[in-house]
Amino acid sequence: MPRSKKGGRSRKKKQPETAASTAPVTSEAPTAPVLPGPSDNSREDASVSTAARQEPTISQLARRRLELELLTAQQALTAMLIEEQRTLVTKPSALPPVEEKTDVIDYLAKKGYTRTEAMLRMESANQEIDGRSLPQLSEDQRPKYRQGFDLTKVWIEDNLDLYKPELRRVLWPLFVYSFLDLVSSFYPQDAKQFFETNKNLFLPEHAEDIRALEPISLPEHVQDNTVAKIYRGNKYRLILSNPAFSNLMQFLENKHKEGGSVMSAILSSYCTIITKERAADDRFSFAAMLGRARESETFPAEDEGIPGHHPGSAYTGDNPAMTGTLPRLKLGKLPPEPELEGDVRAELEEYDAKNPPPPGRNTLVQEYDQMIKKEEDEEAPSRAEIPFPPSTARDVAIEVQRVKENRDRFRIEGRTGGVGPAVSVCMFTFHNTYDRLTCLDFSDDNMLVAAGFEESYIRVWSLDGKEIKPTHAGLEDVTPPSNSKRLFGHSGPVYAVAFAPSAARTEGELAPTNARWLLSSSADKTIRLWSLDLWQCMVVYKGHDQPVWDLSWGPFGYYFVSGGHDKTARLWVTDRIRQQRIFAGHDQDVDCVCFHPNSAYVFTGSCDHTVRMWAVTTGNCVRMFTGHTGNITALACSRNGKILASADDHGSIFLWDLAPGRLLKRMRGHGKGGIWSLSWNVESNVLVSGGADGTVRVWDINPPAPEPSGSQTRAGGEGSSGTKIDTNATAASTQASASVGPGAGKKKGKENVVTPDQISAFPTKKSPVYKVKFTNMNLIIAGGAYLP
Amino acid sequence: MSVWNPDNIRDVAESVGIANLNNDVADNLARDVEYRIAQVLEEALKFMRHGRRTVLTTQDISNALRVLDVEPLYGYESTRPLRFGEASLGPGQPLFYVEDEEVDFEKLINAPLPKIPREVTFTAHWLAVEGVQPSIPQNPTSAESRNLELVSKGPNANPTLAAMSGNQNVAVKPLVKHVLSKELQLYFEKVCNAFLDESSEEYRTSAYSSLREDPGLHQLVPYFVQFISEKVTHSLKDIFVLSQVMRMTEALILNKSLYVDPYVASLVPPVLTCLIGRQLGGNADLSEQFALRDFAASLIGLIAKKYSHASHTLKPRLARSCLKNFLDPAKPFGTHYGAIIGLHAVGGPDVVRELILPNLKPYEKLLRDAIAEDGPRRPEAEKVLGALLAVLSTLHEGRAHMANGHAAIVTDELREQLNEKVGELIAAKIAEAGDVQTAHAILGH
Repeated sequence: MPRSKKGGRSRKKKQPETAASTAPVTSEAPTAPVLPGPSDNSREDASVSTAARQEPTISQLARRRLELELLTAQQALTAMLIEEQRTLVTKPSALPPVEEKTDVIDYLAKKGYTRTEAMLRMESANQEIDGRSLPQLSEDQRPKYRQGFDLTKVWIEDNLDLYKPELRRVLWPLFVYSFLDLVSSFYPQDAKQFFETNKNLFLPEHAEDIRALEPISLPEHVQDNTVAKIYRGNKYRLILSNPAFSNLMQFLENKHKEGGSVMSAILSSYCTIITKERAADDRFSFAAMLGRARESETFPAEDEGIPGHHPGSAYTGDNPAMTGTLPRLKLGKLPPEPELEGDVRAELEEYDAKNPPPPGRNTLVQEYDQMIKKEEDEEAPSRAEIPFPPSTARDVAIEVQRVKENRDRFRIEGRTGGVGPAVSVCMFTFHNTYDRLTCLDFSDDNMLVAAGFEESYIRVWSLDGKEIKPTHAGLEDVTPPSNSKRLFGHSGPVYAVAFAPSAARTEGELAPTNARWLLSSSADKTIRLWSLDLWQCMVVYKGHDQPVWDLSWGPFGYYFVSGGHDKTARLWVTDRIRQQRIFAGHDQDVDCVCFHPNSAYVFTGSCDHTVRMWAVTTGNCVRMFTGHTGNITALACSRNGKILASADDHGSIFLWDLAPGRLLKRMRGHGKGGIWSLSWNVESNVLVSGGADGTVRVWDINPPAPEPSGSQTRAGGEGSSGTKIDTNATAASTQASASVGPGAGKKKGKENVVTPDQISAFPTKKSPVYKVKFTNMNLIIAGGAYLP
Repeated sequence: MSVWNPDNIRDVAESVGIANLNNDVADNLARDVEYRIAQVLEEALKFMRHGRRTVLTTQDISNALRVLDVEPLYGYESTRPLRFGEASLGPGQPLFYVEDEEVDFEKLINAPLPKIPREVTFTAHWLAVEGVQPSIPQNPTSAESRNLELVSKGPNANPTLAAMSGNQNVAVKPLVKHVLSKELQLYFEKVCNAFLDESSEEYRTSAYSSLREDPGLHQLVPYFVQFISEKVTHSLKDIFVLSQVMRMTEALILNKSLYVDPYVASLVPPVLTCLIGRQLGGNADLSEQFALRDFAASLIGLIAKKYSHASHTLKPRLARSCLKNFLDPAKPFGTHYGAIIGLHAVGGPDVVRELILPNLKPYEKLLRDAIAEDGPRRPEAEKVLGALLAVLSTLHEGRAHMANGHAAIVTDELREQLNEKVGELIAAKIAEAGDVQTAHAILGH
């Protein structure tokens, strides 16, 4: 992170040595993935290196060497410490006693205490097998994890209903840490048994982690397994209300002998428990409890879980002053370049004069004013922070076309009278793919569709089935005319394709606005930029040192972001072959990436179940969202820039409010297997999703109006039926709460629960949906492959 | 205890020359092997997920091994799922292995090349139109999607939303009346009544012109479409109603401000009924019946021309249903008539040449019998003959005109060939008319 920060500074200043100073720093990146290491040292190091380059004085060089030596010494020390800890863990009783023993035996023999000597030999015999002493934990500690865990489990289920939901959350960390402790103190059988008997408790929620932890059976695995490392390396954060916490501690104290001590040791050494006043947080209210009881499975709260952090905040350290501080975000629209704005305005005026708008419609100029109007209450990034190349006639033409589309779009005003917006979905189904199609993208001008295949090639079709014509007069096509083109170049499966921003072509435009560029990323660790005029690869961007999973264009082109298996996301600009920023911090692969509509932020989703938000200017992480229980498969930021939607392969979609960094809501309905794509409408009040379960679903963002009042106004004359519904509803909810009461425990609920904010679901015929997209006119385009 | 059998470890150890492996070591190694396999699988799952698949393939495993810096296993690359054979080592000890086919090189080299797999293509259709899924063949039927959880249940669920998404299981019907304004409802009623008003011609024309020209009727389109199909189903005997709703269809299609594309699928069946229906208009005058068919044919033509770009399969489907009726001798001549002009309307001369011409010879026999018979079928058969001739005469459209000096009469030789091609009756008719160009066109000169 410090590296990228420095790059940003030098870019901003636009000094002549920019290239020289960035090059050596970035060139070492591919070989050593940047991890948040001892950051103070490396920052010092980097700054010294640039200083040295400019003016290598002897004192600085000496200082630097000293620092390097210090660093290596430190590293050696920590390595030694780790080694020592490990030996301590694996061999609880170390060597010294053996030596003492021989001394004692010698002494006894010398003095002639033969019987005592024999006794001592006998007693120490079973302690020594090939020179190593056995662990001495025979009766005292062995079964305590299991016993303690079972006791706690039973106690929680017998507890008051009021505390039950929050106390249940304690079980998962207890389970994981007990298991890891059992394994690392070398009780493979016990660990296995313990795991097998209890894992079903957590199955729907923590299926991924359970799968990752299950094969662990040796202490070395604990050191090696990424999930285990994450759990051991971080403290699990839990939120409990005050009475529940004191209740729990009291209980563990009471059961001190029967395993309570182990449990409380786990809580104190591996968990951070935040206690809250009952009244202060409405999460603990009885109403909320009842509401949650209706859901078949519970979910972790957004501030619970492994990267112990304040909700939304990206800071995971221990400094109490830093926790809970949220960096201020600039979520406003990026102001247009003044020259561009003038040109667009002139162009629109001309168009307005020629084609006056129909009555009741805005003129295009008015529309444009509305589009670029700055909201009063939000800060916007400035153009100076995010440099762009000077605009061209093409940019003007695209902007003009966008304004036109924006005015003439199908408006979605949200729910009126309880009826959702009537959206239309146009589905493109691909045939004969044999499940080898990996990704799809539609161009913004709705003329082209690109598909990436496992066989390392990309194919681009024209959407209307007509042949693809050369875009410029001078370009003669050598190949016979056809409605598709193939792009060859990658040497591994293509995992993402993306068209650069474009707009539909109209007559009399200033410059061609069609899609001209296509980006693709592949398992061969490269990103390629293809020209759609020449149908050739233009640039190969190398930097990732593992497969590149996903990429995304910035909203205005020029910038793009990629994420890959090497746990980093990288920011690129099209005219440099080296990345401009490296976003490092995720504990696992970066699975999906997307841009904020003002180009100032980047979002990444990872299979460590977190979503992070990074500032493009500094390269720092500014928000972190936890709460997903599955791998994150899709991200989309709303067009007004305020809400982020993220989807996982357990079928949940989460909405995050960016400014306060809080969870807005969780929407469920999709089957398992991944939600491959999300898209927002122009008004940012409807979200569409498509996934492996072969459905396209439309979601309402604004929470439904309170049902009783809504039904009454709507029902009007039929008031009696309205009240009837109400009584039914309350009856159902009381029933639900009653059924939870006597030890119902966590029964396995139905697989798919559809939350009420789903507007509609459209099943396809055995076709997983890979891509959904709201056009600028609010039509949904979906793409999928028919897999009979 | 591990799932991975320590015996395997011992076997491998022996194969590399370690004779007696300590039990503990074998156990430990077995556990480790199990863990490593899980690790590989975990990586492979990532590749599966990013390949947007739900089936793990051997290639995912190789990719995972590559990422973990292990040499991948060769020889297992396969795009198809592997076939496993089972052998028994003893009671309760099944052994699974990958079945390897023995391939004879000689045969493999000399065998004809395998078929090229079909090219990847795509088709487009409407998955949803204004919030409702149309029931067209590309979309699953409600029976197929029944076991999917599509709507939210429970006390908070909004029944209207569920009904909007076209789910039949929900008892609540969409609250349509709240969506349509009073004016529109009134308008709908008025127009429908006016169209079917037998007494006043003026009424009908004004309704027609209103529907044809007026903007802002989009919300009513589904209702009109439903009205049309309902009327056609229930008043097959009433030729007046039928022709009026056909006019209504025409108005809908021609109205520039309406977007009828998504409804074409439901608009086509009533028109087809009017074109190739078995009995139209009960015992109405023959000419009226055929006029209706003519009108329906032109409508079909219009639909095919206007909407074929939105649906690849529209034209072929129309042509297929016409052809099927044309080739069914059990159908009455009225149906045949409709099918012939329908085919022509859908695809013009090309379709005539490809679909009608090859079938003419056998059909001509049927026609000749009917005409010779002098029964009630005769007038109908003559109509069909007329239609056939007219359709055939379009064949020479677009062909270069004959050079001067060519005989302007049908020579005997030509006549012979025509007899061969289309049968005597039609040949005679063509010769009578002296239509040399058509004759040449038919023969493909």
